[in-house]
Amino acid sequence: MTDATLSAAPAAAPKPRASLLIADERTRKRNAAESRFRAYGLSAIGIALIALVVLLSSVLTDGIGAFRQTYLTLPVALDSARLDKNGNRDPEDIKKATTLTYGKLLDQAVQNTVAQQGIAIAGLTEKDVSDLVSKEASAQLRNRVIANPELIGQTVDARVLVNGRVDGYYKGRVSMDSAARDSNTSPAQLQLADALKDKGLLATQWNWSFLTNPDASDQRPEAAGVGVAILGSLYMMLVVLVLAVPIGVAASIYLEEFAPKNRLTDIIEVNISNLAAVPSIVFGILGLAAFINFAGLPQSAPIVGGLVLTLMTLPTIIIATRAALKAVPPSIRDAALGVGASKMQSVFHHVLPLAMPGILTGTIIGLAQALGETAPLLLIGMVAFVKNFPAAPPEGLFDPASALPVQVYNWTQRADPAFFERASGAIIVLLVFLLCMNILAIFLRRKFERRW
Amino acid sequence: MNDMRLLERAVDQTDIKISARNVQVYYGDKHAIKDVDVDIQDKTVTAFIGPSGCGKSTFLRCLNRMNDTIDISRVEGKIMLDGEDIYDKRVDPVQLRARVGMVFQKPNPFPKSIYDNVAYGPRIHGLARNRAELDEIVEKSLRGAALWNEVKDRLAEPGTGLSGGQQQRLCIARAVATQPEVLLMDEPCSALDPIATSQVEDLIDQLRAEFSVVIVTHSMQQAARVSQKTAFFHLGNLVEFGDTDDIFTRPQDPRTESYISGRIG
Repeated sequence: MTDATLSAAPAAAPKPRASLLIADERTRKRNAAESRFRAYGLSAIGIALIALVVLLSSVLTDGIGAFRQTYLTLPVALDSARLDKNGNRDPEDIKKATTLTYGKLLDQAVQNTVAQQGIAIAGLTEKDVSDLVSKEASAQLRNRVIANPELIGQTVDARVLVNGRVDGYYKGRVSMDSAARDSNTSPAQLQLADALKDKGLLATQWNWSFLTNPDASDQRPEAAGVGVAILGSLYMMLVVLVLAVPIGVAASIYLEEFAPKNRLTDIIEVNISNLAAVPSIVFGILGLAAFINFAGLPQSAPIVGGLVLTLMTLPTIIIATRAALKAVPPSIRDAALGVGASKMQSVFHHVLPLAMPGILTGTIIGLAQALGETAPLLLIGMVAFVKNFPAAPPEGLFDPASALPVQVYNWTQRADPAFFERASGAIIVLLVFLLCMNILAIFLRRKFERRW
Repeated sequence: MNDMRLLERAVDQTDIKISARNVQVYYGDKHAIKDVDVDIQDKTVTAFIGPSGCGKSTFLRCLNRMNDTIDISRVEGKIMLDGEDIYDKRVDPVQLRARVGMVFQKPNPFPKSIYDNVAYGPRIHGLARNRAELDEIVEKSLRGAALWNEVKDRLAEPGTGLSGGQQQRLCIARAVATQPEVLLMDEPCSALDPIATSQVEDLIDQLRAEFSVVIVTHSMQQAARVSQKTAFFHLGNLVEFGDTDDIFTRPQDPRTESYISGRIG
C-alpha cells in the first residue's frame, strides 16, 4: 500500500510551488474566521464587563447612602416626675413609661434647642419642629434609659435620628422642590435642619446601626437595618453547612466510588441533575408542606429556611463533588488497590484528598447560591416583619428571623424611597458576603491544591 | 501440547505458586479470555506475550482480582494461589492483593512523599510496629528496587517529582514493601526510555530471588531477556506456554511462530 503510493506520486503532474510569503485563499479564509471569532469573544467579554460595572455602580450609588445617617445631637432633660413617678428607680416602674412619654420629652428638647440657638421658625408649627426627629428616636431613648436608670433626673446629650426626609435631603434624595410637594416634610423644615447643621448640632455620619438594627416600620426608614436579616442568613448557612455538606459529600462518594453502575444508580444520577434544575420556589412549597404543615416547625424560622436551602443545595454539592471525584485519575485508585488498600482506604487516603479542592469550591459555591436565594423563603414565611433578634443557636434557630435577600425584596416593596436606599444597602451587604465566600473558595482551593 | 504440560507439572509440582484452570473472562458480552490453563512457578519470571487486545493484561488482572473493579467483567474457572481458590466467596480481595502485588503500565506514585509512597502499604497492613521498623522496611524496599542510592537524601520530596524510570522503580518498591509473594507487572517498561527499561529489567531479574514475577510485555526481546517461562496469548486463547528458550527457538504452534517472527501482531 505504502509502496504503491510512493511509486504513484512522481507520475502525477508536479504541483506549482506556491510562495510561502503570500497567504493563499484558504489560509486567508481561515485567518479571517479566526480573527472574527476572537472579535466575538472579546466583545462578549466586553459586554459582560460593562454590565457588571453598570450593575455595581448603580447598586453602590443607590446603596452607599444606607451606610450614612443624619443625627441630631441635643440635650434632653429626663424628667424624673414623668419617667419614674414613685422615685424608687424600680425597673418595673421605669418600663411603665412608654415611648409616648419619651416622645414628649424629645419634642420639648427639640423646641428648647431650636429656641436656645435662636433659629427663626417662621411658618413651622411646634409639631413640624419636633417632627424633625425620627419617630424611632423616642424608643431608642427609652431603651437607653431602661438600660441605665440613673440617667433619670439628669439632662443628657442624646444623639437622635432625624426623620427620613431630612436624612434624604442630605443624601440628595429629597430636594426643596420635592419637599414642597411632600406632606411629610416642608421646605421650611429642611431650612430648619440646615440652620441646625450650621450650628453643628446636625450631622451626617457613618451608620453602623444599619448593620446592627432590626427592620423598622414603614414610617421609620431611617431606623431600619439588616441586623436580623444577617443573623437569620447566618443561622440558615449554619444549618445548610451542618446538613448539606456531610450528606452531599457522603452521597457523592457513595454514588461515585461504591455504588454499582446499574439502572437504579442511573435513574438516581439523572434525578439529581434534574433536581439541580428545579425552580427554587418549588423547594419552598415542599418546605411549607413538609416542614411547616407536616412536621409542625414554626414559620419564619431559620431552621425551616435552612432545611429548604439544604434540599436546594444538595444537588449542587453532589454534582460538584462527583465531578471532583471523577477528575481524580483512576491510576491512583489502581495504585492504592494494588498495594492491598481496601476500597474505603483508597477513597479516603488518596482520592478524597486529591478531590478536596474541587469539593470545597463546589460546596462554597452551593452555599453562596443558598445565601442569595429568596423565592423559597417567601413561601415559608421569612418575609414577615421581624423586629426582634433571634436568640443564640440552637434555640434561636426556631425564632422568627429574616434573611438578607428577603429583606431586600421586602424593602423594595415599600413606598418610601428611603427604603429603596436601604434595599440597595442590603444588596451591598449581600454582595460583600458572597465576595467573601468566593475569596474563601479560591483561598481554600489554592491551599489544598497539591500540584505534585 | 496437553501431554507436555502435564509432564511439566509433574516435574515441578512443588514450586507451583499460581495455577489457573479453565479460566474464562467476559466483559459484558465479549468473551475476553477463553479457557486458559496456566501454572506459574515460584521464584520464576513468567512473561505473557501476544498482540494488542489478546487478553494478556486481562488475565494478569485476574490473578489479583483487579478485574473486580470493573463492573461488567465476570470471571469463571479456578485460579489457585498456593492451592486456595482466590475467587472463592470467602476470599477478601484486599487480603489477596496484599499477597499478590501489582505494578502498572504507567508509573502511578501517590502524590505524597517518596517515603510515604513506600510506607503506605506497610502502614495499612500493620507490618511495622514502630517508626524504626517502618524506616527499615522503606529502606529495604527502596534498595530492593535499586532506588535507594538515588533518593536516600530526599525521602520527604514528592514521589511524582522523580523521573519516569525512577517513578516506576518507586512503584516497584511500593509493591515490594507489602512483602507480597507474587508480583504482577503490566507492561512496566512501556512508558520508559531504554536506560530506565534496562534498569527495571535488571531489577526484575533480582526480584526473582524472592518473588514469583509475572510480567506482561509487548516487547518479545524483553520477554526473552527477563523471563524463564513464556505464555503466548492470541485472541483470548493461551496458545503456547513453556520455557522461554523453547518458545523463542522452537515454537510448537504456527501462530506463535508467526508472532515472534513479526508476521502477526
